[in-house]
Formats: sequence, structure tokens, C-alpha cells
Amino acid sequence: MSIRSIVGSAVVAATALSFAPAAMAEEITVKLWSRADRAGPLRAGNIVAAAETLNAMLKASGSEKSVKVELIETNAKGFDADALDLLKAHSVGEAPDIAVAAHEWIGSFVEAGFAANMEEHIASVPDLYADMIPSLWTSVSYKGNRYGVPQDSEVRMFFYNNDKLRALGKSEEFIAGLPAAVNSGEFTLYDLCDVAGEAVEKGIAEQGLLHRPNIGPDFQMLMASFGIEMYNQEQAKLQISKSKLTEYYGWLRYCVEKKAIPADITSWDWSSVHDAFRGKKTALIKFHGIWHGNNQIKAFGLELDDKDGYFDKITWTNAPAAAKGGSPSNMSHPIVYVVNEQSDQKELAAMLVALASQPVPNTRHAVTTNHTPITFGQTAMPDFVEKGWLQIAGTPLLKYAQFMPNHSKIGQYNSITFQGVQAVETGEMGPQEAAEFVIEELEAELSDDVIILD
Amino acid sequence: MQTTLMNRSKRRQMSNAALFMGPAIVLLLLFFVAPIILNLFVAFSDMHQTVDFREFTTKQFAKLFIADDEALLGFSLRYAFNKALILSAIYVFCTLLFFNVGFGLILAITTTSIPERLGTFYRAVWLLPRMSPSVVYALLWHWTITPTETGLLNQILVYSGLEPINLKLDNPMLLIILANGFIGASMGMIIFTSAIRSIPKHLFYAAKVDGAGPLAIIRFVVIPALRWPLSYITVYQTLALLVSFEYIWLLMGPARSTMTLAMLAFTKSLAPGVGGGQYAYGAAISLILIIIGVIAALGLWRLTNMKKLLQAPRIEVH
Repeated sequence: MSIRSIVGSAVVAATALSFAPAAMAEEITVKLWSRADRAGPLRAGNIVAAAETLNAMLKASGSEKSVKVELIETNAKGFDADALDLLKAHSVGEAPDIAVAAHEWIGSFVEAGFAANMEEHIASVPDLYADMIPSLWTSVSYKGNRYGVPQDSEVRMFFYNNDKLRALGKSEEFIAGLPAAVNSGEFTLYDLCDVAGEAVEKGIAEQGLLHRPNIGPDFQMLMASFGIEMYNQEQAKLQISKSKLTEYYGWLRYCVEKKAIPADITSWDWSSVHDAFRGKKTALIKFHGIWHGNNQIKAFGLELDDKDGYFDKITWTNAPAAAKGGSPSNMSHPIVYVVNEQSDQKELAAMLVALASQPVPNTRHAVTTNHTPITFGQTAMPDFVEKGWLQIAGTPLLKYAQFMPNHSKIGQYNSITFQGVQAVETGEMGPQEAAEFVIEELEAELSDDVIILD
Repeated sequence: MQTTLMNRSKRRQMSNAALFMGPAIVLLLLFFVAPIILNLFVAFSDMHQTVDFREFTTKQFAKLFIADDEALLGFSLRYAFNKALILSAIYVFCTLLFFNVGFGLILAITTTSIPERLGTFYRAVWLLPRMSPSVVYALLWHWTITPTETGLLNQILVYSGLEPINLKLDNPMLLIILANGFIGASMGMIIFTSAIRSIPKHLFYAAKVDGAGPLAIIRFVVIPALRWPLSYITVYQTLALLVSFEYIWLLMGPARSTMTLAMLAFTKSLAPGVGGGQYAYGAAISLILIIIGVIAALGLWRLTNMKKLLQAPRIEVH
């Protein structure tokens, strides 16, 4: 290489450098915390997709900035364990900018100074949130303000195996009329256990009624059927009624004695519960959520779009009322996006959440994981109409839905009331004794945060 | 000159002590003393969820004790705590007596009195539960005790004309004692075997010449030689069992029927999805466990005369 060519290249290089943009391209990293969960990979995926949309907009505006989402995928066993990990990370200054969490943790997040108040953000881009189903906002509200954005919604129900009901001699009219009979308060929780117990007695089913084996939101539906209101809005405190709790535990005992509920269900694992309803000669009724629809369809040997086939095999109802003429109950347990109050990119993170919460990305999540929509518009989308027939069928049940209280001690509350469920079902305590024990524990652990009613 | 030498030797002694004892002391401070002190602080705080230390309070202990003027000590125990204490006592006592010491001893005696290869084989078999990963071991138990007729145990029972049983529901304590015992027995077995091996052979020959049968040999030759290993295993395993919860958790989950003190501390503080996150409450229970452990260790120390075991040997050559 001659000296001239070296000098030539140097000149070219220097010229190129001097014409480089004054502002270098800036990449802003937004950290996203999400539990690795097969029931919703797009909860995180939609935020990543939102960043791509935003980057395209930034580019169009001539901005040199771009957004990169750094995913912190955690492997906690459930949303409760994950929220505790998140709070620990927050307390040592390692919190992400956005987190995917179960809504009832919002109270804890606000008290810990993690969750940002979203009111201003929502007001700043009203069009992006205007179609949100209003009742869902309740799930992210804490003391009158919204601290998150609902990411999905779901509906829980009692699943009945129609073939077993037929084998039990129940008519097609009875089966078809069950949802209405539950809604009118004609078919009660006691009737439910009578039917379930009869199926076990007659050897048609191995188990009558399966509820979740561990602590979790479902029990709130049953408690609501007995008129237990877990939350006192005015005082922002949890509450429990002793007499109603005794009645609720009495019903569980009744079901175990009828052989409807297996006495040891609280020591089962989830897979046994799922398998027991999907097996050939096992459970008559299972109580859980809509997101199991696809697995049930497969287990019953049906095609994914076979709506009529599915409802020929399975009937859904709300949680029946405890007494004749009472009101049924349901609950939805939304997963939500929370933005970090202390994040340097708070506004940007909120915008990513807004983009991820739009009908198209949300429907992608909802139809692949059997979750109900968060906006009204979604139900009319072709994808939803074609693939989301389960969700559309489940949406009417949401009429009776309530949410878990967003109180920082709701986890402890659920854990203690579950102790009573286990004590009664295994025969360790009678309903009265269990209720007294649970109330003593609630008073000891929650002290001022719980109101004890008669 | 003399003083310099003395100084040098003293310095050397000190540096030698630091060199040899230093790592052990640092480890002891880091992993034994520091956690206890930390636990003490947390137990007297209201640390939860956010792991903040905000105030000094004794309210965690109010969750365990109730002020009661009629009680002897001015307080009584809350139901859950009282139950955990009783379950811990049953669990530790039974596992220790029937397995970790009792069965370990039987295994050591039987496997040393049969031909050596066979003995080694049986000991290896009994080591398997300890060697298998805890989750795999728990899974095998789950398969064995499944309450339906597909469970291995129930298949055997039904085949023998008996009714199927549900251990988890009807005998949960028996289940956790068996599961822990099968693992715990091997430790005693190894220690006792090596102690039996170190008994001079001529003692056995002499006993036989004197006309002693197998039982008499065990009673008068073997057991006296095992006195110290027996004391050691008893003290060590008592402490280990008091704080163990791994297999209870894997087999029973947070079941009320097997909620020992260690399990209670775990479920209130760190266990996933069972209302955990009450770190101070868990620490308070742990503090009580530490106190019980210390009392148990000192009591057993006294009872089994461990002091004598740890005394300096008398035949030291100076």
C-alpha cells in the first residue's frame, strides 16, 4: 500500500466521521419483569411488540432514540411467590420498569412505593383506554386511584360432566337448565353436593366435586355465595363474618360427608385435579377457570372449533347460591401491568403498556390462552369470533363477577381461611371450631387490618 | 536474646493459631453466629414483604403466645403454635427412636454379623434413599402411597385382601416419620458400623469361648462400645430433625396435619404461595426453635455424658 493511498483512506475516514450525526442513536432500555408462564407468554411478548411499534413511530418522527425491552423472566411457582420476589427486588433497588402481576398485589405494591399512579397517564392518552371494560378498572384501583392496567380477564366456573349426569339419570332438560337454575337461585350449593355425592355413591364418578387443592382466589366465589364480603371499601380493610364463615365451613363438611368432596383434596397436586376431571371415570364436577377449556376439548377427543361438541360434554355454571333464591357468584382474577413509580422511564413504560393493551395484541394473548377480553371491541374481532368462542360463551358469567380485594394482606387472609377449609375437610375440626380458630388467627396475624363481624 | 526468642515463639504460636483456626472461626461466625444474630433482629421487627427493618417490636410473639393471668407463666400458647410444638415433639422423638438411632443400630449390628460382602451390599441399599435427590425420593413416595387403587402400597394391600389406605389423610405423621426415617437410618448405620468394626476381634473370640450367644455378645460387647456414637447420633439427629422440613414439604405441602415448628416458620416466611412473606413472624418461630434446640442439646449432653467423650485423651504423650 502506497503512502498516497494510506493518506487517501485517512482523509476519507476523517470526512466520514465528521459527517456522523451530531446526536448518536440512543437506545433506552425498559426492564420488564414477567413470570415464565405457559398460560400467558404474550403478557411479556405484547410489551416487546409494543416497543417495536413505538420504535417505528419514533423512526418516522426522525428521532434517533429507540426503545429496547429487557425481559427479566422469573421462575416463581405462582403469582404470589413472584410478587414477593418483586417486592424484595424493589426493596434493594433492583425493581423493573414494568411488571406483570396478579391484581390483588396492587395494595402491597402501592404501600411499598412500587406501583405508579396511572391516572395522569390514562388521562393523557384517553383514546388508548376508552374501550376498556369499565368493571376491570376496579381490579387495579386502590384507595380511589388506578395503579395498573388490566392485562387480561377471566371467568371461573363449575364444569359438569354431562355424560356422567346422564348416567345418573338426569334428563337433557335438567342439564340444559342447570345454568339458569343456578342463576335463579333454585339450584343451591347443597343441591350441588347432593348430586355430586349421589354420583360417587352410585359409582358413576370417583369424585363428586373437585375444588382447587391449594390456597387461591376460587374460594372467594364460594364465600361470596354464603354472603361473606371480604372487603370493607369505606375503611379499606378486610373483613369476615363469623356466622357466615361457620355456615361456609358447614357446607364443606356436608359435602365431605356426602362423599362429594374428597376429604384429602387439599393434599392433592394440581395435575391430579386436572387429570381427575379429564379422565374417563373420575370426577363429576370441577371448579376452576375458563383457561382449561382447550385442554378439556383435547381430553374429550373433540376438535378445537367444535363448540356444540364441547357443550354436549360439559356444562358451565356460576357458583350456586348457598340458599334457595340466593344470588350466584363468580369472580375474575385479572393479571395486570404495573409501572414502577421510581423508574426513570416511567412515562415511556406507561406508553408501552398502553400500546400492549390495544385490541389486536391483547386478542392475540386472549385467544391463545382462553382469557376473556379487556376491551369491548375485541369480541367483534374475527379472531375472537372464530377462535374465541369459549371466551364469548363465558363472558355472560361475568355478570356476577367480583374481584379479590386489593389489600396488602389478602394473601395472608386467604391462607388463613384456607386453613379452616383443610381443617374441616380432613375432619380435624368441626365448622364452628374451625371458624373460631380462623378468626383467632386472623386477629393475631392481621390485627387492625381485619374487621370481625358476627 | 531469650526474650526475643520467646517473643518470636509466641508470635509464631499466634500466627499458627490464626492459620489453622482462622478459616474455621470465620466460617463459624459467618454461617452460624451471624444468622442467629440476624434472626434475633428480624424476630423483633415487623419485617415483611418489602424486607424493610422499620421498628423494634415484640408483636410477632403475640402471634404465638396469649397473655393469660391464670396460666402458670402468665401466658398460654396459641392453638397453631401449641399444635406445632406437639407435632414437632412427636416427629423428632419417633423418627429418632425408631429410625435414626433404633433402626440404624439394628442395621449396623445385622450387617456386621453377616458375611462382609453381603453386609456391604445391604448397607449400600440402605444408603440409596440418602443418595437419591430429595424430589425424586419424594416422588417415589407419592407413587407408593397414592390413595387410589393405583398406588403401589394399595395394590399390595388389595392383593392381600386388605382395604386400601390413605396415609396422607389418615396417618400423615406416620408417613413423614417413615419417609424421613428411611433416610435418617443410614447415617446412624454408618457411624455404628465403623464403631463396631473398631472393636478388637479378640473380644468377640473371648466372648464366644466363654459361651456367649449372639444376644449376649450384642449386650455385653457391642453396645458398650457404641455408647459414644449413640450419644453423638442422638444429639446430632435431634437437632437436625427439629429444623428439618424438606421432606415434609415435598410430601405433604403446607398441610395442617404435619405442620411442625420448622414447617410453620417456613410457610409463614418463605414458602411459595401460602401467605408467606412474613419474615419477622418466621424469624420469631425460628428463634423459639433455636432456643428449643439449645435446651435439647444441653439436656442430651448432660444425659448422655457427652462431656466425657469430648475430654482430652488421657494417654497424651508430652
